[in-house]
Amino acid sequence: MTVPLLELDVRPILRAGGEPFGQIMQAVASLVPGQGLRLLATFKPVPLFSVLGAKGFSHEVRELVGGDWEVVFRPTDVAAGVAASATAASDGSDWPDPLHHLDNRELDPPEPMVRILTATEEMKTGEVLSALLCREPIFLLPELAKRGHAWRGGFEPDGTTYKILVRIGTGKQATV
Amino acid sequence: MIGASLSRWTMAYFASALFFLVAAECMMAGGYGFPHAAVGAPATLILVHVVAIGWLSVLMLGALFQFVPVLVAHPLHNDWLPLPTLLALLSGLAALILGFLQLASQVDPELPFFALASVLLGLGFAFALWNLGRTLWSAQSRPLPARFVMVGLTSVVATAGFGIVFALVLARTTTYGPFVALAGSALVIHVIAGLGGWLTVTAVGVSYRLLAMFMLAPELERSSTKAALYLGVAALAVAIGGGTWAILHGANFTLMLSGSAMVGLLAVALYAGDVVYLYKARKRRTIELNCRMAALALASLAASAVLIVVLLVLGQLKEYAAAVVFLAAFGWLSGLGLAQLYKIVAFLTWLECYGPVLGKTQTPRVQDLVIERRATKWFLLYFLAVWAGTIALVIGYSPAFQGAAAAMLIATGGIVAQFARTRRLADVTAAARLPVGVRKPRLLFAPSHQN
Repeated sequence: MTVPLLELDVRPILRAGGEPFGQIMQAVASLVPGQGLRLLATFKPVPLFSVLGAKGFSHEVRELVGGDWEVVFRPTDVAAGVAASATAASDGSDWPDPLHHLDNRELDPPEPMVRILTATEEMKTGEVLSALLCREPIFLLPELAKRGHAWRGGFEPDGTTYKILVRIGTGKQATV
Repeated sequence: MIGASLSRWTMAYFASALFFLVAAECMMAGGYGFPHAAVGAPATLILVHVVAIGWLSVLMLGALFQFVPVLVAHPLHNDWLPLPTLLALLSGLAALILGFLQLASQVDPELPFFALASVLLGLGFAFALWNLGRTLWSAQSRPLPARFVMVGLTSVVATAGFGIVFALVLARTTTYGPFVALAGSALVIHVIAGLGGWLTVTAVGVSYRLLAMFMLAPELERSSTKAALYLGVAALAVAIGGGTWAILHGANFTLMLSGSAMVGLLAVALYAGDVVYLYKARKRRTIELNCRMAALALASLAASAVLIVVLLVLGQLKEYAAAVVFLAAFGWLSGLGLAQLYKIVAFLTWLECYGPVLGKTQTPRVQDLVIERRATKWFLLYFLAVWAGTIALVIGYSPAFQGAAAAMLIATGGIVAQFARTRRLADVTAAARLPVGVRKPRLLFAPSHQN
């Protein structure tokens, strides 16, 4: 029953100015059923609480000497299996070609967010949606996470178009 | 990056701030403080700090706790600290007001209100700086608007530092020579650091992003934007650093201030150029009320700058400083604040209520939460009243100033009523208001599980 916690220290990545989200999700995907994750970060990773909460993890937070934070994520009863499958998409594995393409660059905010969420509700688990935006969708990402979807996004080489891919997750039914 | 969440106490900040705006307008309409009292009189000092701390600083901090994470795509360092921060600021302001009343011999002189105010306000601003500073520090990238905010936050340190020195000297807690010298001459540095450094530079940074976002205009990383930032920093460094040095070493203080003013005006001119470019380059042809009214606030900033130039040329800036400060505080900063609040309150309320069910059921649009036609008249009345008040101060006719302040009070009441209606979803049609899974929002805070 007591599987030792997997430990992940992302402080070196954060201090070097890197983005550890992919690595955290990879670690979560690699957890065996019943296993928890001990995460060390330079700040309190509040949005992760809802991302992993939606996948059935509870969290305990502790501030360490020197201002760093330790968070222990533990799977609740139903979680482990779902969590692994729902988050696997955030790692480097290949996704199927997008089924739908949205060009939301000319839309007034928050219409791009509304269109993407509406589209995801009509799609099936594992399907992928692609959307073009004129800025990083800051408020969309936590909502996607809460609904159990995975995403990859970034600015195109032109520096002004933000492209996001959303893969519909299995956590969909578990949300709000 | 993981995204930004709703800051729980944003609405409590906005409501507290609006309370103090209304309080200040009541004071001005009732003839409390300048021009009925002298610039340095306790009544004027109370009025000025109710505006600067109670209204503008609390509004700005509430907006920053929500907006800095959006600006740098990094979550707020600490989610619960904004509440103690607000309580420290509000109780500190109360102590400061009691301290000024003490100066006017209107309250029991035994209690050390100024010392208490120094501690509480110092603590409140320190909490805010720590929280926002750590957020900015941990972010991967800090775009130009964020760097304006960083300069603004640095100016808070200078403003609060001078304020604490003044308070301790006024309370006779210290008789340290340099402090007494600063308390005698550095009031203008305190005003420049607060109104210019903290509030204006931060508002400029925030407006670059908000205007681009709401008008679908390009994000500006132009050389003029960078130059505006660097010149703004230079102007503040000369006024605050150079000015302090001049006072303590008996150098030419006026020369320092004039130099700072010229560099600062150049920065404002570059900002004005950028803003005109943003409005022209926008993809969204029909803009919403917040951007239309922001234009009136920006015009007030330009008018303040022109007024400063004219008065400098005429050598009469000191005589008419109150009119310039009034126009900058109410036309520019308050006007911009009220205009953007109109959109921000609607957007945050919409996201809080309908975010979780978007796409799952029919939901209202953000614009369904407001009725712009009804709000427009209050905004126009507000700006007209501010401009009339400025003219009344210039010509020195105080009954007209009181009348203008009363009109501002009525207009603000109209605007605040719109905010409350938006927050309570009162203008959303009953059929669309509460789909399954949506709860009516609380007036003053968002639920803690919102992420």
